Amino acid sequence: MKALTANRLTDGKVVYRTSEGVWSVDPAKAEHLTEDTAEAALNAGLRDILTVVGPYLIEIETGAGFTPGGRKHVREAIRLSGPTTGSTKSMPGARHVPV
Amino acid sequence: MALDSARQIARSTTELPADIEPAEAFAAAAWADQIDVRFATFKDGRGFSLAALLRQGGYEGRLRAIGHLLPDQKDALLRSGFDRVQADDAGEPARWARARAAHIYQPDPGAPQGRHTALHRRALAVRKARAEALAQELEGADPETILARALEVYAGRIALLSSFGAEAALGLHLLAGTDPETPVLFLETQRHFAQTLTYKDQLVSALGLKDVRVLEPDADEAAREDADAKLYERDGAACCELRKVRPLARGLEAFDAVITGRKRYHGGARGALKAVEFDGERVKINPLAFLSPEDVASRFTALDLPSHPLTQIGYASIGCWPCTTPASEPGSREGRWAGEDREECGIFDPALEARAQRAGSIRLI
Amino acid sequence: MYQYDVIDRELVNARTAEFREQVSARLSGALSEDEFKPLRLMNGVYLQLHAYMLRVAIPYGVLSSNQLRMLAQVAREYDKGYGHFTTRQNIQYNWPALVDIPAILDALASVEMHAIQTSGNTIRNTTTDPFAGAAADEIADPRPWCELIRQWSTQHPEFTWLPRKFKIAVTGSPADRAAIGVHDIGLKLVPGDKGIMGFEVHVGGGQGRTPRIAAKIRDYLPARELLAYLTAILRVYNLAGRRDNLYKARIKILVEDMGPEAFAAAVEETYEAIRGRDLAVPAEEIERVASFFTPPAPGRALENAPTDPAFARWRRVNVKPHKVPGRAVVVIALKAYGQAPGDASAAQMDLIADLAERYGEAEIRVTKEQNLVLPHMDEAALPALFEALKEAGLATANAGRASDIVACPGLDYCNLANARSIPIAQQISMGLEAAGLDEAAGEVTVKISGCINACGHHHVAEIGLLGVDKKGEEVYQLTLGGVADGEAAIGKILGPGLSADDAVRAVIACVRVFADHGANEERFSQTLARIGTDPFKEAVYGA
Repeated sequence: MKALTANRLTDGKVVYRTSEGVWSVDPAKAEHLTEDTAEAALNAGLRDILTVVGPYLIEIETGAGFTPGGRKHVREAIRLSGPTTGSTKSMPGARHVPV
Repeated sequence: MALDSARQIARSTTELPADIEPAEAFAAAAWADQIDVRFATFKDGRGFSLAALLRQGGYEGRLRAIGHLLPDQKDALLRSGFDRVQADDAGEPARWARARAAHIYQPDPGAPQGRHTALHRRALAVRKARAEALAQELEGADPETILARALEVYAGRIALLSSFGAEAALGLHLLAGTDPETPVLFLETQRHFAQTLTYKDQLVSALGLKDVRVLEPDADEAAREDADAKLYERDGAACCELRKVRPLARGLEAFDAVITGRKRYHGGARGALKAVEFDGERVKINPLAFLSPEDVASRFTALDLPSHPLTQIGYASIGCWPCTTPASEPGSREGRWAGEDREECGIFDPALEARAQRAGSIRLI
Repeated sequence: MYQYDVIDRELVNARTAEFREQVSARLSGALSEDEFKPLRLMNGVYLQLHAYMLRVAIPYGVLSSNQLRMLAQVAREYDKGYGHFTTRQNIQYNWPALVDIPAILDALASVEMHAIQTSGNTIRNTTTDPFAGAAADEIADPRPWCELIRQWSTQHPEFTWLPRKFKIAVTGSPADRAAIGVHDIGLKLVPGDKGIMGFEVHVGGGQGRTPRIAAKIRDYLPARELLAYLTAILRVYNLAGRRDNLYKARIKILVEDMGPEAFAAAVEETYEAIRGRDLAVPAEEIERVASFFTPPAPGRALENAPTDPAFARWRRVNVKPHKVPGRAVVVIALKAYGQAPGDASAAQMDLIADLAERYGEAEIRVTKEQNLVLPHMDEAALPALFEALKEAGLATANAGRASDIVACPGLDYCNLANARSIPIAQQISMGLEAAGLDEAAGEVTVKISGCINACGHHHVAEIGLLGVDKKGEEVYQLTLGGVADGEAAIGKILGPGLSADDAVRAVIACVRVFADHGANEERFSQTLARIGTDPFKEAVYGA
């Protein structure tokens, strides 16, 4: 199974193309594409130049839900959920009062 | 890549690809007066260097950038030497109407010796202010004081310009006594009296001057402009330009201050000479400015300096032999270009002085 | 530090106005993404995995307190409350919106900062010794020259569309804390005879896919000729650098293909043709720029140092000698155990700005090891500084130690990455802390890159990790023996690739081998040369 993803032009957020042909930050709304429908979706997405940047097809596991699969699954999982490094905001000194 | 990559279009416009070998571009530029450089993609920056090379190589014809280009590149293209930009895709006309950069950090690659960079403008403002302050400080001062102070302020970028003429020994002796390592520039015009050249060697040796630099006309230029060696007869100003003005410009490249032998009593435009002047680019130091002819004579006597042999037979001021005749008074320059409407060869140019006054209009907050 | 004059201000303002217009043009479609991309890169705007990334220039790694406060403000207002200091002395924000970037650039311009040419095929930030102006072993302060190079390289009309990015580094000390051996152009200040300052010029160093040590092409160049000579090098590269293959486009490939002698000859020929008064740096301008970089007045010596062993340890490891009496150089390691290397929160940035102002001439430096430095600390104030830093998690006494790890953003952030690097660094640092190895091993450099582009500088680490993609799994190659500063050297692969967990264990094991076998005062490379790779192979791969 495939899905079409890109980054939103205005703010760079990760978005997925829905079956209505709009782009959503919610992966649950991503259209699941087959080998047949993938290319058409990609071509359509490439025309959305005022909405997104750099659309491309990704592999997802078949079935319900949205689980990145294939060779780039780590990368797409990170795009989905964010960095795996823990928040810098939780570091000590988060509430500094100027001297 | 052979020259068949260049296409002739109407009215002798030669089109070159932006990735052409510079040597081939030069070959085309030798006979073209309109060149188009085609950019296959706006990301290929070779065309900018190509334009700069063509201009620096002396190409003066029309140079147009064509092909795949962005309006955002217009200023850089013009600065690199293109005089017009014509992109295949016009895009939005409004984006092409953009202001040129008001200030530049780098010389325009396509117009070196053109606009001053920010670095240069800042420096000239400081140089001018300092020269004016020094001139005031040294008003009426004696030669030793003026020279010592100048060598201190402009250390490492000051040279003495000498003709090794009638009064040269004084200034040279002054320098030798203060800092004999200071470069001494001599314009070898190839039209000197033989006596001048002998005198030069004699003085350099006697005074122990360590760094004498001989500035000669460019051989190629001389071959082109004075092939029959008689330019002085046809056009004296052009001969000075070839044999003095241009070699001096090259020789002075590394120097910001020049020590001269000029004196107020030389007359003409030199009557109001100051100890230190700013000519718009460089500072001129005139240590001997305030001396009278009597001062000069007595210094000569006191220092027991050899005189230029020609002074014994009536030459008061000595330049190149085609344009120098004896004069009636010691120290007089009336024998120079006698019968011509010139009193200066051009290496000290009043027009440059005037530009210096306007240079005061640069104001940096 | 350098203060803009009216010309500098106008140029930066013109640039921010230009980019504002370019963003509008992209949003309206007047510019395609293909056209916009190089333009936004020239203004430091990348597109990463999750978001845009803005890389703000910190010219030659020098910051004022006011500027650091503005960086904190940008992090708070436009980002997620933190920033990342980079291996080229810049700062990166990982979450700005494109539509906000013009406003961010305006805010930065108000404190004489910008994001010009921090990306793209342009001349990038010139980097230098973070201890410049303070280190006792300096021949001359490199920073005035860095500022002159900054101006010369900013929006250079001929060199804005190079075959590839271009990086220049300058050192004023023979110790070379700027790694000039692995830069496109490396410059070393040298005194000429007659005491006229000049440069030794090296060209063609670099890391990435094909790491190379630079070749020296000139023993001595009079300093005032620097910009003319750089112009000559760039012109040769702009015309002859490869444009057909992204991975062969750096100048190091050109120098290798031509051979250093032929390359140097081409540069000399170009230089002779273009040198002149318009390119020579005027003496008054050298003087003016240098006048902004003066040493601090003497400080107050520290008498009655606290007996607290934590303070003593921090002072021993993180505080370096200063050439001016009563002053000290303090490294603020952004490497708390288990934290993302090189990150600082907005609150931490504000604190450091305040402390610099209070005790350290309001000046801060950024290092290529992703740390900050207070270069002119008042010695007597060291205890107060320590207490303040400790409270904010900024007093980790590991500057130059194994847990002072350099890590690129890696697959957690970067579009180009094959593997993650930050979590690896976090695990390694916690393991080293637990084992007490920072103290036992002494100084050793550990660097991690998440892909072959080597932004983590692993090639020049004593212990390096390179993340690769093996059939969708993150696998790590371990290298040993790299050296960044001084006699640069490229590390060598030790053995087969390792899983993430094994890579963490392997690095800790190698540090332990060094701790066990290293003789007193011996650097890692010397130990490695002496004992060979076998003890390390055994520790990593087993007998």
